[in-house]
Amino acid sequence: MKSRAVSRRPVSRRTMLRGLGTVTIGLPFLEEMQLSRAAAAEAVAVPVRAFNVFFGLGIPAPLQQEGFAGVLEPLAPLGEKLLVMRGVDHVRADEKGINAHYDGAAAAFTAAPPEGEAKAGGASIDQMVRRQWYPGGLPPGMVPTLVGGTFFRRSRVCRYVHSFNPDGTVAATMQEKPRDLFERVFGTVATAGDAADESEQRLRRSVLDAVVDEYRFFTGANSPLGATSKARVSEHLERIREYEQRAFALKGKVPGAPEVPASSRLLHGGAADPGGEGIDITLDELTAEWRLMAELYALAITTDRTRFGSLTFLAAGERIRLTGDYTYAGRTVFAFDDAGQRKRSGSGGCSHEWWHDFDEKKSNEQLRAHAHLKMREVAYFLSLLDTPDALDPNGKTILDNALITVSTESGDGRHNDVKRELSGVFHAITGAGGRFKTGQLLDVQAEGLDVYNTMLATMGVTQRLGPGNRPFTPAESIIA
Amino acid sequence: MVKRLPGAVIGSLLPGLLLCITAAAVSSEPQPQRVRDGLVAFYDFSEADGTVIRDRSGVEPSLDLVIERPESVRWLGTGLQVEASAVILSAEPAERIVDAIKRSQGLTIEAWVTPASGEQSGPARIVSLSKNPSERNVTLGQDRDAYDVRLRAESTDRNGNPSTASRRNVVVPQLTHVAFTRTADGTTQLFVDGEQAGAGQTTGSLASWDASHRLSLANEVTGDRPFLGTLHLAAIYDRPLSPEDVQQNFAAGSVALNPPPTPAQRNALAFREQIAPLFARHCIECHDPAIRKGGLDLSRGTAALQGGDSGVLLTPGSAAASLLWERVAHDEMPEDRAPLSPGEKSALREWIDGGAAWPTDVIDPVIYRHSNRAGEVWVQRLTVAEYIATVKAAVGVEIAAEARERLPADLRADGFSNTAYNLGVDLKHVEALSQLAEMIVDRMDVLAFAARFSKSQSLSTDDTMRQHVAKMGMWLLRGPLDDREINAYCGIATTVSSAGGDFEQAMRFILEAMLQSPRFVYRIENHRGSGEPRHLSQFELASRLSYILWGGPPDEQLLEAAERNELRGQAALEAEVARMLKDPRAVERSLQFVEEWLHLDRLAHLQPDARRFPQWNASLAADMREETRRFFKEIVWSDSRPLADLINAPVTFATPQLAAHYGLVPAGEGFQRYQLPVDSGRRGLLSHGSVLTIGGDDASMVSRGLFVLHDLLRGTVNAPPPCVNTTPPPTKAGLTQRGIAEVRIANQQCGVCHARFEPLAFGLEKFDGIGALQSHDEHGNPLRDDGVVLFPGEAEPVAYGSSVELMNLLAASERVQTSLTWKVAQFALGRPLVAADAETLNDVHRVAQENGGTYTSLMTAIVLSDLVQKTATETAE
Repeated sequence: MKSRAVSRRPVSRRTMLRGLGTVTIGLPFLEEMQLSRAAAAEAVAVPVRAFNVFFGLGIPAPLQQEGFAGVLEPLAPLGEKLLVMRGVDHVRADEKGINAHYDGAAAAFTAAPPEGEAKAGGASIDQMVRRQWYPGGLPPGMVPTLVGGTFFRRSRVCRYVHSFNPDGTVAATMQEKPRDLFERVFGTVATAGDAADESEQRLRRSVLDAVVDEYRFFTGANSPLGATSKARVSEHLERIREYEQRAFALKGKVPGAPEVPASSRLLHGGAADPGGEGIDITLDELTAEWRLMAELYALAITTDRTRFGSLTFLAAGERIRLTGDYTYAGRTVFAFDDAGQRKRSGSGGCSHEWWHDFDEKKSNEQLRAHAHLKMREVAYFLSLLDTPDALDPNGKTILDNALITVSTESGDGRHNDVKRELSGVFHAITGAGGRFKTGQLLDVQAEGLDVYNTMLATMGVTQRLGPGNRPFTPAESIIA
Repeated sequence: MVKRLPGAVIGSLLPGLLLCITAAAVSSEPQPQRVRDGLVAFYDFSEADGTVIRDRSGVEPSLDLVIERPESVRWLGTGLQVEASAVILSAEPAERIVDAIKRSQGLTIEAWVTPASGEQSGPARIVSLSKNPSERNVTLGQDRDAYDVRLRAESTDRNGNPSTASRRNVVVPQLTHVAFTRTADGTTQLFVDGEQAGAGQTTGSLASWDASHRLSLANEVTGDRPFLGTLHLAAIYDRPLSPEDVQQNFAAGSVALNPPPTPAQRNALAFREQIAPLFARHCIECHDPAIRKGGLDLSRGTAALQGGDSGVLLTPGSAAASLLWERVAHDEMPEDRAPLSPGEKSALREWIDGGAAWPTDVIDPVIYRHSNRAGEVWVQRLTVAEYIATVKAAVGVEIAAEARERLPADLRADGFSNTAYNLGVDLKHVEALSQLAEMIVDRMDVLAFAARFSKSQSLSTDDTMRQHVAKMGMWLLRGPLDDREINAYCGIATTVSSAGGDFEQAMRFILEAMLQSPRFVYRIENHRGSGEPRHLSQFELASRLSYILWGGPPDEQLLEAAERNELRGQAALEAEVARMLKDPRAVERSLQFVEEWLHLDRLAHLQPDARRFPQWNASLAADMREETRRFFKEIVWSDSRPLADLINAPVTFATPQLAAHYGLVPAGEGFQRYQLPVDSGRRGLLSHGSVLTIGGDDASMVSRGLFVLHDLLRGTVNAPPPCVNTTPPPTKAGLTQRGIAEVRIANQQCGVCHARFEPLAFGLEKFDGIGALQSHDEHGNPLRDDGVVLFPGEAEPVAYGSSVELMNLLAASERVQTSLTWKVAQFALGRPLVAADAETLNDVHRVAQENGGTYTSLMTAIVLSDLVQKTATETAE
């Protein structure tokens, strides 16, 4: 089965530059983006960037030990540019009464337990780096922090947002539709002063989205209304769309920006998480939207519209019932049919359950296929930062130069041993301009907090995560 | 009455013979019809062959069942005998049925079965909406010698336990009628052969029902809880049938008979639906009792059969022998009007050939003024006034000024501005609703409001936020939210959360979304069904009651009554309506009616010729408006007098300015109550300046007469023929308005219609264009106020000697009284009234008159009638 994402022409930086009429690829791209002179002057050096890439549900620790021969196979082509860290634990993030999916997801990139249901326990890696390197803010016009993702579990913020301010609040509004992310990046030029208004505007738009969905329901096949009434509500819906166009239309896009992507056809908002019961989705639907999201996010990085943020491929504790034939490198890996294979509908038929069923003595065929898919899609995003389009002035790619941290929520999904569950949480990082080792699968066997603080220290960040009175034990094995 | 056959007889009969007899055959009385109201799935096994059992509910999409193990069953004459474990399953999830039941929170599962034995257990599934043996929405089953129903609700586990069971020893291997009902408040009942055999409580919402479950018969979906025996009939309703309904279905027997109408019935139906409207539109204008052109009166059956000057015109059974048909077929009739269409001609010929049934006494043209399409169900958008009242009641914010400034005014259609088909939406509405939602929430104490529904201030926990949203939504949106809606609104909370917002901000945006949602802006009702009218759900009814009686949303008491399924039964409903009619909102709503009916808004915009009417000013106009409001309030509420007294009560309210204008001696400052002397010429509404100004500066006999004809007598006249000069000549010395009218009436072409309405205004001639009493017009011509009233449908006019006599004549008229009923009913329903409503309206009027003919008795009769209690339904497109 061929993915729509594959058949669609990827959004490329080169295409964008051609649109601008430039002959060569100017690097970085600040001038073309009409940013300030200050930003242009600053551009001669390779900018510091940090991004967190999250994927939901995790890779059980025993499977990580199989290296690239197992479910990590899709990372192999990028293996020389990654440091895969095994044995990282977030046990300290366990919060009584909150399930470990959430604790682990909150700990990813923060190494802290969540603070309630809508806040993380502290800053995330990317934001720590941002504050250190840009204490006065990013160059004007740049998106200070870009948060995006394709996910369908929304009940708690840390499930899907992975950039946090030091007080644990989200560092930027989640862009969950490719079009929204596009508008955030290439639409109006954000300045420091209008951040609040912009956020308000986005929320107000989400209100209108919910209203539109309600009107759409009453005009749809399951509407309780008769024909005449439906027609009346349809008129209302059309007027809302007209209003939406006028009130929230893209005011303009930066010169040379790619075409506005089509509206998402996937469920978003509340409909995407029907009470934790999960949704049906095909592999094509999932990957088409995710890859567009990934391409736009990567384009935002390669065009230097953003330097910090996070990207999520499926939330922590994600509940989807996936169907479709999964192929990789020309071979059929698996035929996804979660509900059918589990003989259950609702939450019981979701891929999440394969994690609950994990047993290292068994084949874990379905879990392996899902985990393999996650790695393929994470690799898809990472590889977009490792193309000729993504070269920095030092001749290396952004994947080489940026600090990109890939992580997830657990090292086990069975919910019967918190210590085991929050141990061995998969991590992979890039070299960050040669600061960290790459080309290795390393058994770090360290607390996540120490690993993260080691990363921060190596990135030149003076502040540390975690309790101030806790002795810091650097995980020196990761440093180049 | 159908009764179970005695056991001894059963034992001696072969099973096949028993089935051929069926319960219905025992009685020689006409077989009662089954109840269809609320039917959402129906299987009568009349296929007699094959592997598909059709859903014959008539509701689309139909939910047909497939027999997956055909070798396990055997078709019998009137049922399906399940001989071994079978799987009879809907191909698709029963989403439509589940959605309908979740909306109503009430249901009925009914089956006619012959169990193979009294030993089956499991329970053995007879009818099941479930996923597997331990997860279900509802299952009717047999548990040895009892019937048992597991229904999932908030108070049960996923398996529907604790269940509702019948008493023991009711399962016997013979034809049995089993029905289970569940009301919205959780009361459950099990009936066996029409008698209650068990009861219980399964309280809490059915929101957790899973729409992905399929419907199965005679087994669990998974095939491991078989029921053996014969299935004769299975039905599911989205409402609890009453014990009487259950009795009726039991009496109707196990074979659903819906005999086709006889030719005579079809002919009578054709008269009602096609011929009466045709005569009303094309013929009665000239051939009514008053005009009787050619000596023919086509408004009454007996008169029509008698014929006219040309002899007998109608030969029932033979169009060819009927002169009426011949004249119509050759386009000789209607005279001076467009000929009948081929379709109309065909209908007429078929009706005459079919026997020319005439099942009604008289054809009243007014009930055919609108085609039945005008009675179609249009979703009702809140009017501006209703929106303001709804916001005030729902969140306590006064938004009247801002709403009136921003929302486009509702336009009048068919005499009222709450006519649903005309309540369209423009871009400005959407913009205004969005702005207003923001303003409203700005003025709210959001946290305090949210705390009414939950103590939680948790932003994004699954269950707490969902429950919070569900409770808040139930109040704001006037009924329970389904999962989809809860998901949508919770999604706003998570979006706010992911943007770093807090609980208050999340609530704020959820409120804004709800305030713009279709369920807030419209009065959403379920119109889907079998095509036949159905009873409203409790919450739908609560909204109808409140918007009709109050012009606003249900209060907590009303919603709670709906939740407890208490809005049913004459006594309970009457008590609820009586409570609501005592509320000040009922008074305000009634004033909206009179303002709309008499179009009092126009007073603010009137600009009479200042030279002719120097005394006219804005405050006089405002006084006239207020006079009518106070008068109406006095008659309807303070004195609780019959509505007909609005026409001739010798009392009014006036400021000194208005009193002087009327020629009354001012009694004091502000509005004072005046007892009207006979020589004032004034009685009731028709002598109010607010109404008399309808005639314009020239006190037009046409305009005033048409108002009386249309609004008080429910008369009809056709539009003037083309090319007629409708500009009246001016009055002059020796020629009054009445004189001009008399010329028109005498004109052969004009008089047919003008005779019907202009004499109605003769009694008002002494009131000038702005309602002042005068004895002579501006030319010095003496004015009169005597005249005649030709009541629609009557042959002879009735004379009156003065305006006061005219008012008394009108007030005493049954025609006027029924017209008031129709007017109030039209406003209540928010749509034009059509022929299909006539019979019910007659009943409403009769009941209201029996109870004093007051506004409250009329409103009570209206809201208790099927006009309000039921709604039309449509099958899927």
